[in-house]
Formats: sequence, structure tokens, C-alpha cells
Amino acid sequence: MASIEFVNVTKEFDKKEIIKDLNLKIEDGTFTVLVGPSGCGKTTLLRMIAGIGPQTSGAVLIDGKDVTDIAPGKRGVAMVFQNYAIYPTMSVRENIEFGLKNNKVKKAERTELVESISAAVGLTDFLDRKPSTLSGGQRQRIALARAMVKKPSVFLMDEPLSNLDAKLRAQMRIDLIELHKKLGTTFVYVTHDQVEAMSMADTIVLMNQGLIQQEAPPETIYHEPSNIFVAQFIGVPPMNIDELGVGGVKFGFRPESAIGSTEAGTTPFSIRGEVVTREMLGSETLYKINYKDTSFMIKSLEDRFTVNQQVYVSVPTEKMYFFGEDGNRIPTSHPSYSSYIEALRSY
Amino acid sequence: MKKHNNIWLTVDTVLKVVILLAFIFPFLWMISTSLQTLEETMKFPPTILPEVPQWLNFVDAMTSGPFATYARNSLIVTISVIIIQLLVMIPAAYAFAKYEFFGKNVLFALVLIAFMIPGQLTFIPIYLMMADWGLIKTLLPQILPFMSNAFGIFLLRQYFMQIPEEIIEAARLDNANEFKIMWKIMVPMSKPALATVALFSFVSHWNDYFWPLVMTDSNEVRPLTLGISMLRETEGISNWHIIMAGNVVLVVPILIVYLFCSKQIVRAFVYSGIK
Repeated sequence: MASIEFVNVTKEFDKKEIIKDLNLKIEDGTFTVLVGPSGCGKTTLLRMIAGIGPQTSGAVLIDGKDVTDIAPGKRGVAMVFQNYAIYPTMSVRENIEFGLKNNKVKKAERTELVESISAAVGLTDFLDRKPSTLSGGQRQRIALARAMVKKPSVFLMDEPLSNLDAKLRAQMRIDLIELHKKLGTTFVYVTHDQVEAMSMADTIVLMNQGLIQQEAPPETIYHEPSNIFVAQFIGVPPMNIDELGVGGVKFGFRPESAIGSTEAGTTPFSIRGEVVTREMLGSETLYKINYKDTSFMIKSLEDRFTVNQQVYVSVPTEKMYFFGEDGNRIPTSHPSYSSYIEALRSY
Repeated sequence: MKKHNNIWLTVDTVLKVVILLAFIFPFLWMISTSLQTLEETMKFPPTILPEVPQWLNFVDAMTSGPFATYARNSLIVTISVIIIQLLVMIPAAYAFAKYEFFGKNVLFALVLIAFMIPGQLTFIPIYLMMADWGLIKTLLPQILPFMSNAFGIFLLRQYFMQIPEEIIEAARLDNANEFKIMWKIMVPMSKPALATVALFSFVSHWNDYFWPLVMTDSNEVRPLTLGISMLRETEGISNWHIIMAGNVVLVVPILIVYLFCSKQIVRAFVYSGIK
């Protein structure tokens, strides 16, 4: 069990600043997902915790203790790599055992630990095989078992599911949530996939260009995005955003908040547009609606419209978001908020 | 189209046979001569197959000098050189492949330059130094100058560089020290390259003639190559059958070693991108 804290951390690669003066606290026992586009610095942060890519300045604390000078193997952390990083010349058993041997765990205890962990991840029948004879999913499990067997206080995962096929990935997501519940240790998980972030995290840390954009539970990130970047990064398809035409302010709404109808709506935001594309996804249908020189995506549980049809799109006022010129969200308590709502009528 | 392919196939096969013969003929000639009598070796036209195989030629060759001592010397020198070289090369190649340190490129350039300096340039100062240290009566002058092997460091470095960084990082997180990472992770993953370097070293030191010729002055420390060259002349006639018998004895260990590591060698060259 351990909490992790970044204090005024920076990181440079070849004189280029990747992380700029970052502060972040990851609470003990949480499942924290660092998410963002590639190159945003999320993996860099993870490697700092592991000690395999130290910060340029600032401090990383594990359980309140500065670990800057502590070797990776002595920090009580375990990491699952994107390409698994399994030792190819060792058998599955030797792979899982390697860390224990280095930590001078007694043979009898080692054997017991390896057996129980491999049973938990379903590798018992493969213990004496070489990793090269196993499938991608099984190798993933070796990497997981190798991390679990050390009983670390922090689990680090760097896009561990990205090499698996879609079906296996969905299964592993559920397995990881259960694993976290069972172990109760701190999980720090890096991904660029917002679906993974939303589905597994207690706390999402959304990053862009080395800066934290928002740090909040998934529901808050989704319902109360702090700026345009967050609003557009989370959600499929992303939030519709356009200029309001008043003082550089932009408005936005999620595709699933829009109501499509053949009759005009009564909300301040109500437009009449044409369906350009229709994507029937099974439980829901996506429409792209052209309006003037722009277009909006809307999502509907019913499949009611056809391509080229004229439809009315309206959005309830409470589902509308406004963003200032700087991209930051304008809160409902803002003095001009109601005037922005009114401005929607003339959009 | 098919006919076209057939022509190429024929040309391809013929060329392969020609090259094969060019390589294998001296070997066959050596073996054949080693089994002939003295008169037969001087006959014209030469006989390809010996009339009656003279197996005693081998006994004659091996009893005409202290061959047990020569063989012992060759084995000690070759095996020591290989072991010491591996102990020096593996850490050096690991450092060059996976570490960032001040002066790395300059040091690696020095290694490559050392690779290009022939022994014929350095043997006089080295001889003088060894004589100064009073080592000429020992095997050390044949071992000490070969403690490192620039070609080996180069080949191993290429091989190590292809091992993903994540595997080393995973081992660090598994609390393995650098020594363990080298011997438990890097070395097992580099067996083909290690086998290749060891075999090259074996062949070049087992067959070395020039260096021991300069560095030795008594039969006590001479290797097999020198012993066999001393079979050359008895009473003004070249005993080709005895010399060739000696050479067969010299070559057999190399063939045996090669049979064991030929597969690894091909793999090493494919992986290191030299081929």
C-alpha cells in the first residue's frame, strides 16, 4: 500500500521540456489512469515512479519518502510493459520467479508463491513452457503474474492491453478491475484509450503536452470537463463545439444530449439541419447533421432518420457547456451565463 | 517462363558446385596425401586416391616430436584466450550497447581502430616487453596480448543493441543488479553471437603460426602449428605425407567445433545485420 506524489517535477529530453513543473498526488489504493494523446508525458511519469527514467528536477515521493536515490528494484513497485518484456530464454516459471530469487526469497516459499499466482491467472499448465510457445494473451498473463508475485505496494501498467485483440481486451479490463478490488493496492495505469480510462479508473488524470488538464473521477471528467481539450478527448464521438458568436465564447454539447425530431424544439438551442451520414451501431445510431457551414454529430437510441432527411436538433439547456476564449469552461455561476444561453437562440 | 527458370537453376547449381569444389579440394587433397607413401606423393600424374591407405603416417607424425606437449600448449593457449576474451568482451559490449557515458563514442572508435591494426605491427614491442618481464619461457606471451578482441566487442555490441530496453528495465524492477542482467538475461539471449565469436577466436588462435613463432624459443612452449611445420624437412626431402597427416590432426578439432556451432553462427550473422 502506498501513495505517490510528484512535487514540482520536470523532465527534459535533449533540452526539450516534456513535463513542466508538475504536481500530482495519487492516493493510496486507488486505480489511477493517466490518459492523453501520445507524447503527452504520461509514460514519462510512470517511468519516474518506477525509477527507470528519472526526473530532471523535482521529487517523486512514495508513501511520503523521496525515492529519487532508491534503485527501481527496491521501491516496492512492479510494472507491466506494453510489449510485456518477458525474458525469452527463461521458462514461464523462471520468469515469474526471477524477482523473488533476486530478493532472496527461500525456495519453498518461492515455489508456493509461483504456484498460487499462476493458478490465479490460469498459467498452471504452462509453467515449464518457454514464453515463445504461448499466445499473446498468455504472455500478458506472465507479465501480470511476474508483477503480482512480488506483492508490490504499487502496480504500474504501461498500455498493457494495446497488443491484445478487442475481445480479449474487454475481458482483461474486467479482470484488472477485479484484481484491483482483490489486492487493494495502488494501480497506476497509462493508456491513450479513453474507453479504458473511463471503464477502469477511480481517478482519471488527463494530460496534454506535459500538463495535467483535469484530475477527477470518470463521471466528473465526463459531466464536468474543465476545458475544451477534456471535453473533446473524453466521449465517443467527441463533444460538438462551435463558436457562439459572443466575445469568443464557444458552446458545446455531447452527441448523446441532442434530441433529434421531425418537429421544431422549444429549447434555446434548436436548429434544422440535414442528415448526411447514418451509422447504425446496434444499440444506438449516429447521425451527422449538416447545419449552415458546420456539422454536428448526434447519437440516438432509436433509428428514426434516413440520409438526406431534414431534422430538428435541440439540446436541453442544462446539457449545454460554454467555454471562454482561453478554452476553460465557464461555470453556470458566471454572471453572463444566462446571456450566453439567450445567445443560442440566434445561433 | 518455366524454361527461363530452368536455365537459372542450372547456372545456380553449377556455380555452387564450382565454389564447393574450390573450397573442399584442398581438404580432400590433404587427407588423400596424408594416407599415401612418400613415393606416391611424388608420382606424376598425381594419384587422387591412395593405393593402400597408410594409417601409420599418423603415428609417424605424432612420434617424430614432443606432440603431446605441443597439443597441450595449443589447448591451454586457445581455451584460456577464449575464456578471458569472453570475460572481457561481454561487459565491454554491454556497456557500449546499453549505457550512456562520457567519451563513449571516442572509446568505441578506439576499439574499432584497434581492430584494424595487424599483429605484424605490434609484435616487436610486445616481444621486447614480454622478454623484459621474463615471460618468454611461459605460455603467457601467447595469451596476454589477446585478452581482448575488438571484432568480438563489435559483434556482441551489435547483438546486444537489438535486445529491447524494456527487458533490461523489467530486470531492474525485478531487483537484478547489472551483473545478473548481463549473465542471466543478455548472455543467454546472445548465445549465437557468443558462439560465433568464440569459434572465430578458436580458429584463429588454434591455427596461429606467426605469433607463437616469434614468441617462443623452446619446444616446452610451442603449439601444434609450429610442431607440424617442423615435420617439413628430413634429409633434404619434404615428407609431404607426414606433414599432411600432421595437418589433418591439426584441423580435426576445428571441424568438430564447427559441427557443433554452425547453426548458431548463421543466426548470429543474420541477427547482427552483417549478412
